[in-house]
Amino acid sequence: MPAENESLPGCTAPTPWPKPLTLPLPWPTAAKSEINQSKQQKEAGMDIKKYMSTPPVTIPPAMTIPAARSLLQSHHFRHLPVVDEQGKLLGMVTDRDLRSAYPSNILDQDSRQQLAQLQHKPVSEIMSRTTFTLPAAASIDDALLLLDRERIGALPVVDDQHRVLGIFSIRDLMGAYRRLFGLGERGSAMLTIIDDGSPRQLSRLGAALEAADIHFTRLLKIKGQEPEAGEENLIYLRVTTYNLPAVRKVLADAGFKGKNW
Amino acid sequence: MKKLINIVAADDKNGLVSRLTRVPTNSYTMNMRSPPPKLLLVRDDEFLMHDTGRDHPESPARLQEVYRLLDRGFSGHRLPVGAIGILPPRPASREELTAIHSEEYLLRLEEAALAERGYLDHPDNRLSYDSYRVALLAAGAGPAAIDELEAKSATAAGALIRPPGHHAERAAPLGFCFLNNAAVATRYWQQRHGRKKIMIIDWDAHHGNGIQAAFEDDPEVFYLSIHEHPTWSFPGTGWSEERGHGPARGTTLNLPLTPGSGDEPVLRLLKEVVDPAMESFAPEALIIAAGFDGHRDDDMSGLAYSSGLYHHLGRHAATGAARYCPGRLLFQLEGGYQPALLATCLGNFLAGLLAAAAEET
Ligand SMILES: [Zn+2]
Repeated sequence: MPAENESLPGCTAPTPWPKPLTLPLPWPTAAKSEINQSKQQKEAGMDIKKYMSTPPVTIPPAMTIPAARSLLQSHHFRHLPVVDEQGKLLGMVTDRDLRSAYPSNILDQDSRQQLAQLQHKPVSEIMSRTTFTLPAAASIDDALLLLDRERIGALPVVDDQHRVLGIFSIRDLMGAYRRLFGLGERGSAMLTIIDDGSPRQLSRLGAALEAADIHFTRLLKIKGQEPEAGEENLIYLRVTTYNLPAVRKVLADAGFKGKNW
Repeated sequence: MKKLINIVAADDKNGLVSRLTRVPTNSYTMNMRSPPPKLLLVRDDEFLMHDTGRDHPESPARLQEVYRLLDRGFSGHRLPVGAIGILPPRPASREELTAIHSEEYLLRLEEAALAERGYLDHPDNRLSYDSYRVALLAAGAGPAAIDELEAKSATAAGALIRPPGHHAERAAPLGFCFLNNAAVATRYWQQRHGRKKIMIIDWDAHHGNGIQAAFEDDPEVFYLSIHEHPTWSFPGTGWSEERGHGPARGTTLNLPLTPGSGDEPVLRLLKEVVDPAMESFAPEALIIAAGFDGHRDDDMSGLAYSSGLYHHLGRHAATGAARYCPGRLLFQLEGGYQPALLATCLGNFLAGLLAAAAEET
């Protein structure tokens, strides 16, 4: 039996893909334009408020480092907003900040002393004060851009008084996009359509699908990254039906050509 | 293994095969002392009554074409004379169904059919007045065949049925499937005949999400599926990381293939992955979820199998059953949406199955 998450022994070809990154085609990050009209989206939307973790677990600046550490450990998360009595954000402490506050070994005299001092040290002494935040009106796209640009793991979501409403982590982000794109949900299939560069393609496509009552959870238009090498511009369409011949007929009638059909 | 290449039946699109006689030509040489292996096939015109309306891929024409070829003794496929017997189905009992489906769902399905609602939950799942009755027969075909196998009246059995089943969930239809025929048969085999460890091999082009969901917590049922990768293919499940839960971890095995995959990766997976899995699990009964939509000319998947692959799959099933659970091999029809092609591929599958079964006796 093959080991977990490993490609199968001796099988170089079409078995499970190890990582989506190895795909021969441009992947959604290459998207130049994107619309999404899924039913879920209408329900779930792009609002950060729908996906952030609430209520946020926050701590006062006077909380000691060991207390904050055990709080993080018992909750299995990594980021703690530090707030004042009004709930206004003062800073953030991460599990990494807390861990590095501890000495690396406790054998020597200095370290033991350091450890003893830690017992009473407040988190305000180690928290980061320059904290990026998301406004309550932010979208998950805003969150993605900020998380990616700043290479951080989570962002506090704050109201206009700077009070913490929730925490939005990279995990939450993945869950949000997974839901929006209908990934891993039963009952959908992806079609690849050739983008011939004709005008208003996505709206024509959307209209044709809507008229035929064919639902979809994802529509991505992706520019071929190496057009000189003959890489085509493609449209990826995730439809929530098994009746693919019917979908292809609707698309063909609307003037679209498939990549493999 | 050398010999089988020669017996792979050619696609009979041009009608080149003799139509002079209803008795298939016996060009297959057999040891005359042993009787030919007996294969029971469930067949009933009732299955044509599940009316999916116009322009639906899962049409009665699929089985019509299969039955037409069956009535001609699969001429062109060189099956051993007298190897095939016909078995009528019976409706699955309430108890057999509720081992897999919820009561509420069964009521909902019955009501949707009798009230002629047109479809259930999604326009894909079209049904007609007769669909509930027919679905019960499709789900009961497996148990009927299993009883015959256990009574030793055949060495293998197949259910030529529709609607298909492997996408059907506990409380929902999906992808033209209403009742999970393979899952119902699996539980029946365990509960009625005490065969504990059942292996289901599903090489329909699509992942059998319903079968997986039914057994992913059950270490006594091994679900193995070879299908087009879920990133592209319906229903969008069946990643290789899905391996079963808790004590059943490892008794679900998904082997997704990239679009365009042909015979070669399948044959390699059979040898390098399926065979070792079967050996370590040592099933007491083998069920094949036999869908023929992976053929390159079937536009319901992006896989590119040849007709000849199904001969190998037939051999593989019979050989595996002979080794671990002789006399307890059941296959059930799942997909395959080009009627004539479906019949041809099925004929190849039967030829492979019977050829290997004859060698084993
Ligand atoms: Zn299928």
